[in-house]
Amino acid sequence: MRWLRFTIGLLIALTLHSLLDSFYPNALAFFNPYLILVVYYSMGGNLVGAIFAGIAAGLVQDAYSMSIFGLHAFSLTVIGYVVAYINARLVLRGTLMFGACLFGSVIVNELVIFVLVNILLKQRIEMFEQAMIVKAIFTSLFGMLVYQLLTLFLREEPIEATRRPAY
Amino acid sequence: MAVPVDVIPRRPTLLFIVVLSLLFVLMSLSSRTRYVGETRTMFERTVMTIFSPVPKTVNWIGQTTADMYHGYLDMRRSVNENLALHRKVIELTTENLKLRQSEGDLKRLRNLLGYAEQFSMPTTMAQAIMLDTSSRFKAIIVDRGSNAGLQINDAVVNANGLIGRVVLTTKDMAKIQLIIDGNSSVGVLIERTRRQGILRGDGSGGAQLYDIPSLADVQPGDKVLTAGIDGIYPKGIPVGVIMKAEKGQDLFKNIAVRPSVDFSTIEEVLVLHTRKIPGEVVRYTP
Repeated sequence: MRWLRFTIGLLIALTLHSLLDSFYPNALAFFNPYLILVVYYSMGGNLVGAIFAGIAAGLVQDAYSMSIFGLHAFSLTVIGYVVAYINARLVLRGTLMFGACLFGSVIVNELVIFVLVNILLKQRIEMFEQAMIVKAIFTSLFGMLVYQLLTLFLREEPIEATRRPAY
Repeated sequence: MAVPVDVIPRRPTLLFIVVLSLLFVLMSLSSRTRYVGETRTMFERTVMTIFSPVPKTVNWIGQTTADMYHGYLDMRRSVNENLALHRKVIELTTENLKLRQSEGDLKRLRNLLGYAEQFSMPTTMAQAIMLDTSSRFKAIIVDRGSNAGLQINDAVVNANGLIGRVVLTTKDMAKIQLIIDGNSSVGVLIERTRRQGILRGDGSGGAQLYDIPSLADVQPGDKVLTAGIDGIYPKGIPVGVIMKAEKGQDLFKNIAVRPSVDFSTIEEVLVLHTRKIPGEVVRYTP
């Protein structure tokens, strides 16, 4: 059931990606639906699930954006793992915590991508801190909105719906 | 997907490192193929193929929605354009009718004006506002009266010929006795032979020519003009055409004349302010 929800979420993220690409081609520079999905799933605390969620979401994002294939898969796997690791030990719940996790995740995601691109392409690229902050704010706000909607529609606490302890 | 999760749960850290290593290899491969010129690896193409229905569907929905929206806009534009064109057609049709009416009026008035220029006497143009040809007394009423200089016995014509004479005036209207009236008499002559006679209305839309001797040369089709001998009508105005000329019971012929004016279509008329013969001259006997 958790994986079904994840798959539906991935399809919705891809739909959003396609829609935004059609109407606002630069929108994904300010907002990342795949990251919201991975963070939401990883907050269940399932480390293995978070790794696979990161791979799946990242590969789909890579396939439909002209970046190096595997780049986002790598960064989202790292984020998924870290978020799941933290949540396996600290039980973070609620919309605000989810927003905070997203904010941090966006920063980590951008940093990982920055490092990877520098290594793989063997050229120094610029780090746009302001754009990163804007992306973190927009993604957090949108993620919190999604979290609130899920609270309305799910019978249990949204994160509990994805929770399956790894150990 | 649930199987591997259950199979590998105990060493997620190792799994994590392995996955990252594999992804790193994948990225290296991908970045290298980009330098070679290929933009997509096989693995990348596979992922795209699996998920391709989603962007295709989104694109189809977007395209269809856009088409429907533009179709709706086009339809709204067409409906508005159609309404505007309908209004334009009505306006133009009305304008066309007015112009046709004006053209007809202009033609008639030009004819009348050209006709008026033939006369040396002063003239007044008037509009027929009432026509009474139903009774024996055939008359029309025009919208000009004594204020416009109309006087009793002024001759009234239009571009086709003689209509009649003024028999009554008010300040702004006048009554015209038509030549087809039963009490009307006009001194006329036959154009071809210059034979003079008197034209009287028969009270039923036609006229009879009197006082033409039986031996006179009169043929159907001969034109009849005013003779200018009655002190009312100037000489030379077309009156009508002889329809029938038969030998009468006495010394004169029975001649039917068709008036040159169609009295049922009179609109504008020209009143000729003819020079009146003073009464003492008429009454004087040497």
